[in-house]
Amino acid sequence: MFSTYPGQVVVDHPVSVPIEHRFDPYVDNGGTLLSIAGEDFCIVAADTRQSEGYSINSRYVPKSVKLSDKTVISMGGCYADCLTLTKKIQQSMEWYHHAHGKTMSTAAVAQMLSIMLYQKRFFPFYSWCILGGLDEEGKGAVYTYDPVGSYERESCRCAGSASSLIQPFLDNQINFKNQESQRKQLTKDQVIRITKDSFTSATERDIYTGDYLEIFVITSKGVEVQKMDLKKD
Amino acid sequence: MSIMEYNGGAVVAMVGKNCVAIACDKRLGVQAMTISTEFKKTFQATPKTYIGLPGLATDVQTLAEKFRFKVNMYRLKEEREIEPRTLAHLVSSTLYERRFGPWFVEPVIAGLDKENRPFICSTDLIGCINFAKDFVVSGTTSNQLYGMCESLWEPDLEPEELFETISQSLMNAVDRDCLSGWGAEVTIITPEKIITRTLRSRQD
Repeated sequence: MFSTYPGQVVVDHPVSVPIEHRFDPYVDNGGTLLSIAGEDFCIVAADTRQSEGYSINSRYVPKSVKLSDKTVISMGGCYADCLTLTKKIQQSMEWYHHAHGKTMSTAAVAQMLSIMLYQKRFFPFYSWCILGGLDEEGKGAVYTYDPVGSYERESCRCAGSASSLIQPFLDNQINFKNQESQRKQLTKDQVIRITKDSFTSATERDIYTGDYLEIFVITSKGVEVQKMDLKKD
Repeated sequence: MSIMEYNGGAVVAMVGKNCVAIACDKRLGVQAMTISTEFKKTFQATPKTYIGLPGLATDVQTLAEKFRFKVNMYRLKEEREIEPRTLAHLVSSTLYERRFGPWFVEPVIAGLDKENRPFICSTDLIGCINFAKDFVVSGTTSNQLYGMCESLWEPDLEPEELFETISQSLMNAVDRDCLSGWGAEVTIITPEKIITRTLRSRQD
């Protein structure tokens, strides 16, 4: 006979108890994004596949948005939350522009995003954000976030479903970890090649990553977008 | 808490030009606490084959001994060393025997057959064999290892190049996994000799 604990009632007939029906507000739309800060440029790259479970919703839904000539944001996770968050950021940036007569700097957007995310601390935006751009000195800047607004400036970061696959590769190739030779600063073309290699490798092993890759290259001249094919299986 | 993540560990094997390499980390932990930094997970099965066993440490030790016994018995009965492909099937059957109460390991096998052709494979905890042509990964660090190997590996690497590739793959992957690391051991198997090197990595 199984043991009972105080307060437990065991009966030998069916009983009617209330069952709570819940609606799960979060959906994971998958995908991978990364951002790398260079000496005078910044790369923000993301794949364009949107999934739900084992299905593909669309092969081309961009995850990155240009906020200004110096700032690009990329978000993964629940696409609905990402869309709303992007809209809020863009509207706040427009209010700022009207109030102050200038575009928000990357660092200002970074702090604002952190505050916006924490304002929904108890019903978070399910979005993994990476903000890439140029800081006030013209150097590349990458800010990474968790879903409730903890943020930090880094030299490179990837997020999303294949982040555990790509991050060690970036540690090795961008920050030269576990390598004796501390080589010079990487050029823009070298970084773009590393980005493309990261995504082709991630596409091989992660089912949520693939279709197309969009790379936003931010330099003092502005934002240039490159699109390339990834495997569609 | 998953039982496969209780002790932590990582093993990877790669194919090169007429050679194979197998590497593992050296950490043994009890969840967050590190108990030992000398717990290697690769074992020599025959003069030309190694088997790597990441997973629950007690099963790692037990299966290492079981496979040593089975390989020795094979050698006594057949009067020859077991081929890597046959060893793979032996490992698979041993694991499937426990289909409904499995051994919590996901082995990796690397070796050269009697014609010195490279062979690697891995199995899941109930014995499904994955015959790979390029590399196999296993352990708590498998996602990170997949990313590293997929980017760094290329076909027909010479033994010295293969050593660099597998070392970089393992070291950078375990640096992103808190349950693996604390040093690494890399073994390169060529027709002439077997070279085992211990790598010093981040000790955290």
